[in-house]
Amino acid sequence: MAAEAATQRAAGSTPILAVRGLARAFGGIRAVDECTFDVRPGLITGLIGPNGAGKTTVFNLITGFLKADRGSILLRGTELLGLPPHEVERRGVVRTFQHLRLWSKMTVLENVLLGCATPMGESVFSLFLRTAAVRAEDTRARERAMEVLEFFGLAGRRHQLAEDLAYPEQKLLSMARIFATDAPVMLLDEPASGLDGESLRRIVPLVRRLVAHGKTVLLIEHNMELIAELSDVVVFLHQGRVLAAGAPAAITRDPALTEIYFGV
Amino acid sequence: MTAYLAHYLVMVGIYAILAVSLNLLIGYSGIFSLAHAAIYGIGAYASALAALKLGLGFWGGLVVAAGVGAFASALVAIPSLRVAGDYYVVASFGLQVVVLAVFMNWTDLTNGHAGLPGIPRPNVFGWVIDEPFEYVILSVAFAALTYAVCWRLTNSAFGRVLQAIRDDEIAAQAMGKNVMQVKIVVACISSALGAMAGSLYAHYITYINPSSFALHESIFIASLVILGGSERLAGPIVGAFVLLAIPEALKFLAIPDTVAAPLRQVIYGALLVAFMLLRPEGLLGRARAQVRDGR
Amino acid sequence: MLGLPLALAVAGAIVAAAGSGLLIDRFIYQPLERRGALRTTLFIASLGLLILIENLLAIVFKPDPLRLEVGRLADAVRIGPVYLTWLHLVSVATAAFAYLGLMAFLKYSRWGQAMRAVSSSPEMARTVGIDLRRVHLLTYAVGSAISAPAGILLAMDVGADPYRGTTYVLLASVAVIMGGIGSIPGALLGALFLALLENLGVWKIASEWQSTISFGAFLIFIVLRPRGIFGRKIQSAEI
Repeated sequence: MAAEAATQRAAGSTPILAVRGLARAFGGIRAVDECTFDVRPGLITGLIGPNGAGKTTVFNLITGFLKADRGSILLRGTELLGLPPHEVERRGVVRTFQHLRLWSKMTVLENVLLGCATPMGESVFSLFLRTAAVRAEDTRARERAMEVLEFFGLAGRRHQLAEDLAYPEQKLLSMARIFATDAPVMLLDEPASGLDGESLRRIVPLVRRLVAHGKTVLLIEHNMELIAELSDVVVFLHQGRVLAAGAPAAITRDPALTEIYFGV
Repeated sequence: MTAYLAHYLVMVGIYAILAVSLNLLIGYSGIFSLAHAAIYGIGAYASALAALKLGLGFWGGLVVAAGVGAFASALVAIPSLRVAGDYYVVASFGLQVVVLAVFMNWTDLTNGHAGLPGIPRPNVFGWVIDEPFEYVILSVAFAALTYAVCWRLTNSAFGRVLQAIRDDEIAAQAMGKNVMQVKIVVACISSALGAMAGSLYAHYITYINPSSFALHESIFIASLVILGGSERLAGPIVGAFVLLAIPEALKFLAIPDTVAAPLRQVIYGALLVAFMLLRPEGLLGRARAQVRDGR
Repeated sequence: MLGLPLALAVAGAIVAAAGSGLLIDRFIYQPLERRGALRTTLFIASLGLLILIENLLAIVFKPDPLRLEVGRLADAVRIGPVYLTWLHLVSVATAAFAYLGLMAFLKYSRWGQAMRAVSSSPEMARTVGIDLRRVHLLTYAVGSAISAPAGILLAMDVGADPYRGTTYVLLASVAVIMGGIGSIPGALLGALFLALLENLGVWKIASEWQSTISFGAFLIFIVLRPRGIFGRKIQSAEI
């Protein structure tokens, strides 16, 4: 339906993120092996697979937290392989973490502010010699941060410490702060895990709104129903290799893949 | 009496500069350095030599001191910070020991154990600072300047980045912050300020020798930060006021000199242990459960 | 001071060292850890103990260097073209004995195996019924005890004073890092390498620069091989 139409639309467009032959071994274990898949712009790509399939490892490799043994990661033609994490972010790829990694002793507003562009305020030179410009930049950053907080419904909590938020709101905050960076590609590591009921139901429209704002999303999820409903494209990973990629309906209903996924 | 009080205040000012600048590392960046006395000494020697051998004035001496101090710090920070944070402690320990060896053994330059006498009093825009009270003004002025610089640094986007790095470095990297670069910059600023304190000291006492800048001095400066409270910018200043009063208090007890010096250290050591057991956040810190490890 | 025979004095020193380690662990380190203290807090407490103990020793025993009666150990021994003293031979023998003894203890004794288990994974060790607190205390006692002979030999060779300890702590830390944290053979190799380096350096460069050589070696090492010779690969944080 809508997902299939989107997939067909995307079939012709060039991928915004092209992963080719990515490989990484730990000792003798090949965590990621000849991993190849595309992430097309403006779509939601779901990365699924049984436990230990290497999904988070792929995220770590793309974002530079792990060094790949082989392969290539092209973001609009720019090679990301070998770049440190902060350089990957500068090129346009941001990520959330399974364990959130919020700055717990900082406020909600501060967490998001750190995503807003404040290069002058962060440069010691400018900080002391261009005080007026730094102040203007700070004002703009705060306005932007408030916009982002409104978008995620966290504006009322902006002065609370991140560690004092309820878990669902903490998850929202982890997405809010990367959204503030304006990076076009967002990697979401299990955005729905630990959520249930109302907060779980809100994940799908939220991620769709992100895409409506021009973002490209690659997400890891264990919840098969969620993936089927949310993704435009699904990539199935097993033992570090891509076994299949395509429309969610096809993949989530494939008996062979289901068997691998549930280990039955 | 007044000269006595003036001396106390001058030293409080100098140690305030040392402690506040060290707190940039310890409290705000989560980097524990044992080399601050070495930096202090580098500033003192650089400024003294600039005055004695190059005839540079007060401001020239300050600039030289800050420059050499920052350079020495960067030299150690760049390799050590690349590895786990724990290595920096050992590296700073090593820097401290090596710098002291240079002070003691490069006799052509530093005169070794004998030290450098006859350092001129500062000449600030034609005003020669000779009276103890005048030096109090100079010392307090520079302490205020240091505080202002550190305040600006920590209450800004840069300060936010520092706090984020301290809270969760990995998340900071993922959000585009160049953590290594930030840490090196902070180390250099901290050292430039600490070296400046050395310059002030050299021109105040007019005689310096290596024994003032050894490891126990590094530990003392760290105590000022820890006992005063590393969470607040003013914590180290309170630490300076309190800890520098202790030797003065001891003098009232008529203890023989040979025992007074080690006894002072025993008290500092005991205070450190006691505070860690009973009030690790220091005098000015907010009491809270220290649950997380991994730093 | 007390005029006791050497053997008794050595035994007394080892007991005193082990005892100090035990007391410090029992009353300071473990309580701090139980409160969830940060590593920095523990480190600062250890710094406090360092200056406290050094200076207490200085007050009680006077800060002047002490030289232990060496007697016949100063006599020269000739091995081929090399002249050594008996003291040198005893030092090497002590080091070898300490190393082999420790390795054997860790490998074959029940307590040694318990220590290795805790080092590898405290949670697993606890499930198997190992008393973590006892192992912790034992580790400190053993570690402190082994340092006693080193202190005695140094006192015989170059003399000792209350403040000399920190230099050796730095050297030991560098040796451990160079050898790889967590590896005892690595620590031995690191120490040997460092000692060789320092003495070769002294041959060419003046002896006051010994510490600079060690420190320089340390910096080079952490740039080229941060994990040391035998260390485990430095784990990137759990992401």
